[in-house]
Amino acid sequence: MSADASGLKPAVIVAEKLVQTISSGGEQIAILDGLSLSIAAGETVAIVGASGSGKTTLLSLLAGLDSPTSGSIMLAGQPLSSLDEDGRAALRAGRVGFVFQSFQLLAGLTALENVMLPAELAGRADAEKLARDTLAKVGLEARTGHYPYQLSGGEQQRVAIARAFAAQPEILFADEPTGNLDAATGTKIVDLLFQLNRDRGATLVLVTHDMTLAARCGRVLRLNAGRFDD
Amino acid sequence: MTERRPSALRFAFLRLRRGWTSGELRVLVLALAIAAAAAIAVGLFTDRVRLALESGAGEQLGADAVISGRDPLPDAQMTALRETGLRIVSVTSFPSVVARVDGEETQLATIKGVDAGYPLRGKLLLAREPFGATEIAPPQPALGEVWVDLRLWTTLGLSLGSKLQVGTSELEVTRIVAEEPGRSGGFGDLAPNLIVNAAALPATGLLGPGSRLQISLQLGGTRAQLATAEAIELPPGFRYTTPENAQPQVRNSMDRARSFLNIAVLATILLSAAAVALSARQYSQRLRDEVALLKVLGARRAFIRRVLVLQVLLLGLIAGGLGAAVGVGGQAVLANLAAPVLKIVLPPPGWLPLPAVLGLVLLMLAGFALPPVLASVESAPVRVFQRAADRESRGIWGIAAAVVAIAALLWLQAGSLKLASFVFGGALLTAGVLALFAWLLVRGLAGIRSRGGIAWRFGLGNIARRKAAAVAQIVALGIALMALLLVTVVRQDLLATWQGKLPLDTPNQFLIGILPDQVAPLQAFFKARGVAELKPQPMVRARLSALRGTEVNAESFEDPETRRWINREFNLSWTSSFGDDNEFVEGKPWGGEARGKPWLAVDDYAVERLKLKLGDTLTLDLAGTPITLEVRAVRKIKWDSFKPNFFLVTPPGVLDADGLNPPLQWIASFYLPREQRGLLRELIREFPNVTALDLDAALNQVRGIVDRIVGALEFIFLFTLLAGLVVMMAVIEGSRADRVRETGVLRALGASRRVIRQGLIAEYAVLGGLAGAVAAFAAQALAWALAVGVLELPYGPRPLLWLIGTLAGCAIVTLAGWFSLRKMLNTSPRTVLAGGAA
Repeated sequence: MSADASGLKPAVIVAEKLVQTISSGGEQIAILDGLSLSIAAGETVAIVGASGSGKTTLLSLLAGLDSPTSGSIMLAGQPLSSLDEDGRAALRAGRVGFVFQSFQLLAGLTALENVMLPAELAGRADAEKLARDTLAKVGLEARTGHYPYQLSGGEQQRVAIARAFAAQPEILFADEPTGNLDAATGTKIVDLLFQLNRDRGATLVLVTHDMTLAARCGRVLRLNAGRFDD
Repeated sequence: MTERRPSALRFAFLRLRRGWTSGELRVLVLALAIAAAAAIAVGLFTDRVRLALESGAGEQLGADAVISGRDPLPDAQMTALRETGLRIVSVTSFPSVVARVDGEETQLATIKGVDAGYPLRGKLLLAREPFGATEIAPPQPALGEVWVDLRLWTTLGLSLGSKLQVGTSELEVTRIVAEEPGRSGGFGDLAPNLIVNAAALPATGLLGPGSRLQISLQLGGTRAQLATAEAIELPPGFRYTTPENAQPQVRNSMDRARSFLNIAVLATILLSAAAVALSARQYSQRLRDEVALLKVLGARRAFIRRVLVLQVLLLGLIAGGLGAAVGVGGQAVLANLAAPVLKIVLPPPGWLPLPAVLGLVLLMLAGFALPPVLASVESAPVRVFQRAADRESRGIWGIAAAVVAIAALLWLQAGSLKLASFVFGGALLTAGVLALFAWLLVRGLAGIRSRGGIAWRFGLGNIARRKAAAVAQIVALGIALMALLLVTVVRQDLLATWQGKLPLDTPNQFLIGILPDQVAPLQAFFKARGVAELKPQPMVRARLSALRGTEVNAESFEDPETRRWINREFNLSWTSSFGDDNEFVEGKPWGGEARGKPWLAVDDYAVERLKLKLGDTLTLDLAGTPITLEVRAVRKIKWDSFKPNFFLVTPPGVLDADGLNPPLQWIASFYLPREQRGLLRELIREFPNVTALDLDAALNQVRGIVDRIVGALEFIFLFTLLAGLVVMMAVIEGSRADRVRETGVLRALGASRRVIRQGLIAEYAVLGGLAGAVAAFAAQALAWALAVGVLELPYGPRPLLWLIGTLAGCAIVTLAGWFSLRKMLNTSPRTVLAGGAA
């Protein structure tokens, strides 16, 4: 079973026959059960499904954070299986952005330093300028020197979004980006996410429970027991 | 767009700037700083002493070389010495009791008769008032004048122009000796000093037979001249001393003191290492999330590794700097404590120990901090979603690094493999026993947990729930408290026990140098004043010439102590009735029937040195006449009876047989009540050659010295206690997140701040009390072993020690626990609902 991009743009993410099993109490449990997909550049895709359906596992495999039990993944034209952990990290640096449910800001760094981080890791000399510009875009130019604990939940997620976009990535992965926010703030954050994505022309893959959010994406993939529903 | 490598150093700095506020890093730095401070304090201090001994040794000897002996150098050697062209200044010194002519107080002093030109090297500085302006001394004091040192000046309450009774002479005090080369004789140099013109000595009547003369010839000249002088073969009993081999006492005492201090430093380092390992492990746990996120954002492992190594090095630098600052202050405290004992001017601290301490810090980091911190590099990126995704590794490497580091630290600090393994073995054993005891106590808490209010149950519940952590804290604090208890309470206690065992009339005065024809008049003198019945004992000097029929000299023996003993003359005595301070181990005491028999009753010291057994023969040279004696008995002497005793004793009629005329003197001891001290002044007047040694004063002086050394030790053990507290803080940091969450839950459930505070106090008071009890138990066990096994003192349980230990532990640990966790009390119940940690 596969989900295909409909446009003519080249695919930036291609997964073939992905299987991910874990052993639990001596038993092998399949989290992902031989699914395939292809996502074109600039596409916005929502992956939805019940808790435990394998959404987050799929996301971590597509981003190269983990290796599948079997199957292959191409990310930005590179087969992930040919890369070791450092190689996959180098591939992500500057080309892949992330937004997490729990923000995942480094407590020891200011908002600016957090946002600079991916660009710095990608070796960009203009990391600070990029970070300041992006923080201005999310409306936090006045809070650059603040530490995460000095920011509200919504502000923290805006910093996280700025961080995800600052290095101008080709692909953005978002895991329940509104999961830790109230409805009003969540809506604002989603608007911001889509607006930035439009401006930058990045590919967006997001995992969510929220069907309203999923509906804003160009394509919705439903995961059920490790497979896509038709 | 330009590219550049991300800067690991910049990131390490960034991380530390805020990461510094995380408790575990503060604990890590504190632990390193404490270890560094203790090591630097002791390192700098011992280095200063070494520098003082090396640089100023020539001046401290007062000459380029010295030939010394108990008699004047025989003519042949004296002539040879003069032919070398060296400058020679003779100094005659001996102990005698002196007194102010118009006062009651007497004092044993070293009297120094000097030739013109004393000293040959260095400066003799005199003053007109204590600590007043100094001037360089004239070549020697005028006849009828005496220069006294500050101690004699103070003890006897002297002033310029005071008359001092020295033997039968009355000499006028004209100056205070402010600084004198060669007066830095170390711990053994107890008596105050006075300097007179050598030509004034005969008139004092103190130079008769029996006086304990030390005649030193100070030599000054070129290397070639000195080499010629050194080649002159000296008769037995004479010694050629150069600045290099001078001051063996200071060196020996320093070596011993350094060993003690190093043990204290080692204990501090081991405890600090435990705290470093604990906090680095906690830090590493916290780092895992961050490392995973960095990997997600594109960081490679090499970069993360660089960041972490740099971060740990930066922490090391901070800790090293902090430790150095405290350590430099600490060495000044040590130097102040030791200065009066060492009696040498210490040069300013050098830099030599600092690289060693930097090495120590790096070693601690490499062994205990880096392995757990670097283990976090293995954290999987998918951890940002699933915490369980971690790969645990490096366990073996971490342990191996710690073991190598411990071995290297011990070796570095102890300087000898033997001491290092001794300390490590001792530490392991102590920790093991303490851990077992602590575990039993912690288990025993279950019984009393249900009794008491909610705070009490909550506090004790915390201990019971974290049993391993509680045991670790009790052991770490127990070791530190035990060390402190040993040097403070237990030492005083043992001393008091020993003193309490001595009868009230234990002799406190020794008389030496009594001439044979003075024995009866002296006894009459004492009887007339109703003091005590004086029982003088004869003493002759002899030299060992053959053992079991074979000729021997010092070189015949391997053991250095035996060599030293053989080199000196033996003191022998005779008796037909042994006191009850002589316990016969082999053979039987003899009575009058043994008169004239060539028998010998030896002390177990002689047995040990010469490997003697019953039936062995010793041939002694008694003023030129050989006399062979057979070992008939072995005695164990109780020296703390303070009565004259001798290693070698014969029956009467052997050493004093007709035809033998060895130089003979008598010695005696007696008890003189304080209020009758005036008698000593009369004694000097009537028997000027007899020297009275005041044991009380000598004991006080020794005690003063011991107090100083123990003070230094106590000071370093304070660092050990701090290290123990840091281990406790490390454990607290490990449980902080849990505690914050629990406090939030309790607060949400309606517990008042007061209840939580009381629970915290209950927990740490009990923990501290247990640590104190464990420490008291261990200190008591050691004291008992020492008292019964070594000192042969009766020693029972000391409830007061247990009480002091428990209360001290309680107070210290409650304060430290409170200090570490006070902020936690303010945890809002909201934190629980928000799902976060403060």
